[in-house]
Amino acid sequence: MAILIDSSTKALVQGITGKEGSRAAREMIAYGTNVLAGVTPGKGGQTTEEGVPVFNTVKEALAQFPDINTSLIVVPAQFVLGAAMESMEAKIPLVNIITEKVPISHVAKMIAFARTNNITLVGPSSIGILSPKKSKVGSIGSAGLADIIFSPGHVGVVSKSGGMTAELSRILTEAGIGQSTVVGIGGDLLIGYTFEDAGLAFEQDPETKAIVIFGEVGGTYEECFAKAMGEGRIRKPVVALIAGQFSEQLPQDTVLGHAGAIVTKGRGSAASKIDALRKAGALIANTPEEIPILLKPFLL
Amino acid sequence: MKLLEHQGKALFQKYGIKIPNGELLKNAQAEMSLDFPVVLKSQVLSGERKKKKGIIIVEKHEDFRQNLEKLFLQEIDGSLPESILVEERIDFEKELYVSLSYDTDYRKPVLALSLVGGTGIEGATLVPIDVMKGLPDDMAQESLSKAHIPSTFQLSETIQNLWKMFQAEQALLVEINPLFELKDGTFVAGDAKVVLDDNVVDPQLRPFIDLGGDIAILASGGGASMLNLDILMREGGRPANYVEYSGNPPASVVEELTLKVLSRPNLKGCWVIGGTANFTDVAETMLGFVQGLRKLQSKPAYPIVIRRDGPKRKEGFEMLEKAKQEEGYDFHLYGPETSMAESAKIIVRLAYGNPH
Repeated sequence: MAILIDSSTKALVQGITGKEGSRAAREMIAYGTNVLAGVTPGKGGQTTEEGVPVFNTVKEALAQFPDINTSLIVVPAQFVLGAAMESMEAKIPLVNIITEKVPISHVAKMIAFARTNNITLVGPSSIGILSPKKSKVGSIGSAGLADIIFSPGHVGVVSKSGGMTAELSRILTEAGIGQSTVVGIGGDLLIGYTFEDAGLAFEQDPETKAIVIFGEVGGTYEECFAKAMGEGRIRKPVVALIAGQFSEQLPQDTVLGHAGAIVTKGRGSAASKIDALRKAGALIANTPEEIPILLKPFLL
Repeated sequence: MKLLEHQGKALFQKYGIKIPNGELLKNAQAEMSLDFPVVLKSQVLSGERKKKKGIIIVEKHEDFRQNLEKLFLQEIDGSLPESILVEERIDFEKELYVSLSYDTDYRKPVLALSLVGGTGIEGATLVPIDVMKGLPDDMAQESLSKAHIPSTFQLSETIQNLWKMFQAEQALLVEINPLFELKDGTFVAGDAKVVLDDNVVDPQLRPFIDLGGDIAILASGGGASMLNLDILMREGGRPANYVEYSGNPPASVVEELTLKVLSRPNLKGCWVIGGTANFTDVAETMLGFVQGLRKLQSKPAYPIVIRRDGPKRKEGFEMLEKAKQEEGYDFHLYGPETSMAESAKIIVRLAYGNPH
């Protein structure tokens, strides 16, 4: 078991002929992911170097490959809304958006559509999803790194930061702690898949024994996760690392690394997140290296 | 991108939201033709202009010039006004608070309403908006009733116009605080706070914040860069700046950032920091760093600690070693065997010396 993706994942890559899209597809295939088809409008009929057929539309791809159950979106920001709507209207149950800097008004529309149609939307600005030795979707663990830094095991990792998914997984792997699934949810103001969504999925996943979250100043997704813990909806042990405490010394409204990092109404600060998570029973790490030490007792 | 009040009000007008009669004055000698009393409003981005002496009410003509001159010289949060907005003072019956923004609990746009103007979103009633339905008249009326605000045609229309602007301009925030209700039942926007989506207006923007310290930082990854600033400050380091590059930028982008970050005087060290990258080409970004170093007016003599991992690290580090030999840079190179936190300790020790 794992969450979101596993060996039964059959992927479509929207934007497969672009620079980032073709690299993501190539590396997914190298990791063993079943990439059935790609879509680039106007390039239908072509085949990628790896032999993946390219279609003009999602519908055409699905007509030939009805088993597709996951779509990765790697198209320029202004085309993401159209691409995501295309795969969601075609009822592909999991849509993962890698593209960064998608207009927030577009993200709000995609989230609304995904919710009413029961589609799992991960991203935008997601680095991807990886279930070690089973499947990976997106840019997570490229250039052969995936085999070195990720290892199968019992810790679910969920992170706003793409870079930290790799750093944390490497540290866990080096400490002998494997991962069930590693999810990059993106750090935008609005995201399709939240810490809470991931937490609830890991809660149901028999393979996952503990959860690691990497959060950042801004938004209230960490606070919502803490609330779910407090209400007993997430009961597995949680270790959290929250970045951005330094920003408490900056003027309010300062936007940091990710678009979502705006502090509002007292909530959203790193201190507020740490406080809420600690009160809900999560263990708080100060550095990535503390995470395996805090996790060990739960994995015996 | 935050807009100045007069820019926000120009947008209000475009979408049919009434604003006070006003004129924009570009300098202290400018003339204006409004009737007194008037309100002089400093055009700065700070949110607390009243408290910071950025707003002056002028009752009569004799006091106008002197107050205008004063306001042009009044610094607010370190910046002088771009211009002064002069407006006729409004005789109002009531002040309301109205805003539209995105809420991360609902993950939807929210309409915030309050009968108490002049305060903020705290205490306002939040009404989530279904983006598929928008904010038609019946929803606007219903929202007002939820906030216990007597609903009128004019108020509902103002709110609907604000929604149209929020959507069409792809704003992150549109706030009218206060929204004046006049005796005749019309509504006039007393102030305008508008934030547009950088993803739309300036997708190339990279956040850069001057933090005033003496260790220059070039960090990669939004999350890792924030975490590393936390760690550096905990170790006693004084960061000079916050900046980060994400994704897989070409060398030219890193070169430009390097020049920007290292051009400030009195630096004691430089910390190039990142975790294990997923897909950033480490050789490419480190090449950009060295290109930036080579273009600096004076060659840095201070220690430079580089901690990085990811695709093409080996090639990148070989290139760095070569540049170190050729140029004599004081590079200290670390891969994943040295933690980010450990490298923070190293740069602090090298930059400030051992406190023995």
